[in-house]
Amino acid sequence: MNRALRRISIAVLVMFVLLLVNINYLQGFAPASLATKPGNARAFDAQFQYQRGSILTSDGVTIAESVPSSDIYKYQRKYPHGLEYAPVTGYDTLYSQSGIEYYENSVLNGSNSSLTVRNFIDLLTGKPRKGANVTVTINAKAQDAAWNALQTATGGKPGAVVALNPQTGAILAMASYPSYDPNVLATHNGKQLNAVDQALLQQAGNPLLNRAINYTWPPGSTFKIVTSSAYLTQNPNSSPQTNVNSPTQLKLPQTTHILTNNDGEVCGNGSGQASLLTAFAQSCDTTFGSLGMTLGGSTLNNFAELFGMNSKKLQIPMTVTQSNYVIPPSQALTAFSAIGQYSDTVTPLQEAMFAATIANGGKLMTPYLVKQVTASDLSTVETTNPTQLSQPVSPTVASDLGQMMLAVVQDSDGTANAYNTAAVGFTMAGKTGTAQNGVNNTGLNDAVFTCYAPYDNPQIAVGVIIQGGGYGATAAAPIAVQVIKAYLASLGK
Amino acid sequence: MSSITVPSPAVDPDHPLVPVARGRRRTELIMLVFAFALIAFAFANVGYTLKGKLPSSLAEYLGAFVVITVVGHLAVRRLAPWADPLLLPLAALLNGLGIVMTYRLAAQGSLLSAPLSPSATGIQILYTAIGVGCFVAVLALIREPRVLQRYTYTLGVIGLALLALPALLPSSISEVFGAKIQIRLGTFTVQPEEFAKLALAVSFAGYLVAKRDVLALAGRRILGIDLPRARDLGPILVIWAASLLLLVFESDIGTSSVFMGLFVAMLYIATSRTSWLLLGFVMFVAGAFAASKLFGHVGERFNIWLHPFSGLNPSHNAYQLVQGLYGMASGGLLGKGLGGGQPYITPLVQSDLVFTAFGEELGLAGLMAILLIYGLIVQRGLRTAMSVKDPFSKLLAGGLSFMLALQVFVIVGGVTRLIPLTGITTPFLSQGGSSLVASWMLIALLVRISDTARRPPPRPIQEEGLTQVVTLK
Repeated sequence: MNRALRRISIAVLVMFVLLLVNINYLQGFAPASLATKPGNARAFDAQFQYQRGSILTSDGVTIAESVPSSDIYKYQRKYPHGLEYAPVTGYDTLYSQSGIEYYENSVLNGSNSSLTVRNFIDLLTGKPRKGANVTVTINAKAQDAAWNALQTATGGKPGAVVALNPQTGAILAMASYPSYDPNVLATHNGKQLNAVDQALLQQAGNPLLNRAINYTWPPGSTFKIVTSSAYLTQNPNSSPQTNVNSPTQLKLPQTTHILTNNDGEVCGNGSGQASLLTAFAQSCDTTFGSLGMTLGGSTLNNFAELFGMNSKKLQIPMTVTQSNYVIPPSQALTAFSAIGQYSDTVTPLQEAMFAATIANGGKLMTPYLVKQVTASDLSTVETTNPTQLSQPVSPTVASDLGQMMLAVVQDSDGTANAYNTAAVGFTMAGKTGTAQNGVNNTGLNDAVFTCYAPYDNPQIAVGVIIQGGGYGATAAAPIAVQVIKAYLASLGK
Repeated sequence: MSSITVPSPAVDPDHPLVPVARGRRRTELIMLVFAFALIAFAFANVGYTLKGKLPSSLAEYLGAFVVITVVGHLAVRRLAPWADPLLLPLAALLNGLGIVMTYRLAAQGSLLSAPLSPSATGIQILYTAIGVGCFVAVLALIREPRVLQRYTYTLGVIGLALLALPALLPSSISEVFGAKIQIRLGTFTVQPEEFAKLALAVSFAGYLVAKRDVLALAGRRILGIDLPRARDLGPILVIWAASLLLLVFESDIGTSSVFMGLFVAMLYIATSRTSWLLLGFVMFVAGAFAASKLFGHVGERFNIWLHPFSGLNPSHNAYQLVQGLYGMASGGLLGKGLGGGQPYITPLVQSDLVFTAFGEELGLAGLMAILLIYGLIVQRGLRTAMSVKDPFSKLLAGGLSFMLALQVFVIVGGVTRLIPLTGITTPFLSQGGSSLVASWMLIALLVRISDTARRPPPRPIQEEGLTQVVTLK
């Protein structure tokens, strides 16, 4: 019988080993994944046990903070500039987060592994645990200007502004209109939260949408930056002064459709030839339609992708909706795609990236929003280092395009001549876009503008899109001017 | 003068063949005091965490507990002086931790899950007193384990009757959370199955010792496996049927598996025939599988086990299981500290899921310690079974130890999602009387058998090496 007892003992040993291994797995390895499972009230309550970190702009304005509260949880999330910064901060509700609140959640709530040692020291010294602060790259003055201009300048039309530092890719302003107030979503009352959430989802204009990075419109004539880049790169002997085919009417092959310029205007002196610079400044659709057919869809596609289009991978850290260039199936549609129509669509961020590339000598820096993370003891946990995303054009081509964009604003017949140095007080280079849309182009045109300033020492690149705003020069450009003016003033220049 | 050399005795006093037997009662007392210190510390911990001061009733609770267990210790000194010195302190430590957890759950709850009634701690201590009382009574009434063999069939009938009782009684006094396993007498409830398990373990041991040769030797060999004779299959079929009836009529999968496992293990210990083990296992799996297909209540358990996080499960059927898992996860390696977690979120955390409450507040470290305590009790029991000579006692000690291990495996494995969760009590830790009293009786039986096993053989009248000289006049 003892032999059987010994075997039973081994069976018992196996049973206990199984239990021990299982609890080791459960409590040693599984907690992180269990914390995100549905209905985990403990993990949920734990979020509110500690003071969540603040979100600050690069110039020190607090845009999200947790303040002591006397209701069911110890802290209440507050957004001092709710609507204005909602596209940046996102929200932090009982059940979910968005924006920086979501993407930097682990550092804000202090659970990130980089904070483990600090949390442990706090535990030993008896200090209450506190999440780390996140400093974003936003410049409060530029953001204020962007938000105010969006609210007032367009009479309530949906749109968005993004401003970049061309040398680093740091996002200086990111505003979207209409917006929402994340404060109402920060309620600790579940029923109230549901009601507010439903109301926001059903509200006209979709205020929860961050149009700066998550909505796309046709780029219109601003895409001529890409077409010009392709042309100047593929033809090394060309320059902005090179004469190119610029008919008043461009007959498109295999179709009866005739491409004309805006209001049927002539391009240049009407000779059918104009310099690239003149055609760009006047935004001649016939010129760039013709160039596009010569270059071909796949070449345009290559350059569009170098500028960041057709990529799902861009994260700032929020995921940026893809800007699209689709290779057209025919010559005629290639002509349209070369002037930012057909299936071309871009985000306002992509617009800013066009100008930023040219401003930075042809190098496109990866856009980013988080400047640094600072622990509660004020030590720096991490700092974002600027990285290059791509180099769409050579410095020479970038300089050529700079001249052309300068002409758009400074030349007397440039489409954005109203914002020349004399008018705005700084030297800006840019490109307007007026994208037709709707069935048979019956919809209101979307106004697009991309620019950078100052021309000789670029500090800021801005992309603006106003849905149904009309001409880029009249609806979008003034907003960019406001943002640049505010930003340059904050730099003391 | 030649001196007569005295032949050396067969037993050299310096190197005895049998180790010098010692009662080790002092060891038992020291270990018991250690257990008291741990329990006092745990009580204080709850008080400081929840209220920032020592619990006001600490002295009464701890005092009562110390008196009760010291009575148990004194009874062992008197009634079973050679008993294993670890069984009592280990059981007392687990029992004390159970009382602390009851106190903790009575001291704090939340809006959605009310704390236990303030008298719960006192009642649990009362149950402890009854449990230790029964422990002493078993030691006093059963002076020699073999006498139990006489009651093989009586206890078998009593055991089966206790098992069947709740199924026969109307649901109003026997049903709890869909399982018919209790008898409600006024405000108190008794779960007869807890006692039935003990009665049946004794009965099995008696039956198997009597029949083991027939069961082991007679039979034919098919495919290399020794199959028992059809007529010897009778008892296993009866037990199998009884455990299936438990499943069907009382919806109590946990007890039925413990019950079946106990019987199969004892059959194996008695006969050393793997064929019995295989047969029993196959029959249980087949029965459980059929039940899971035929009865919604059983099938649901499997669904909860396999898919606790999908669909509506986390908020409905699997709510209790996943909340227990969340509790353990929030405890992590070192736990939230007694009083620092939110174990009250988990429904019925004081009974079936008490292990997860310890996981939340004592962490992985605490749970490993608790499992090792159970492991030690089982190990002492199996060691007793190995060393005791009488086959009946051997079988009984082996069976009881294995039953304890199996019960821990079924409930701890269930709440940690190793196997499907079935509602059975966690020995000594769960709040409630029947399980605690029955567990103390189980320990009493092991103590009694270990006393027999460790008792030194009676001193020979005379040294065997010397020839007795009988002088004839």
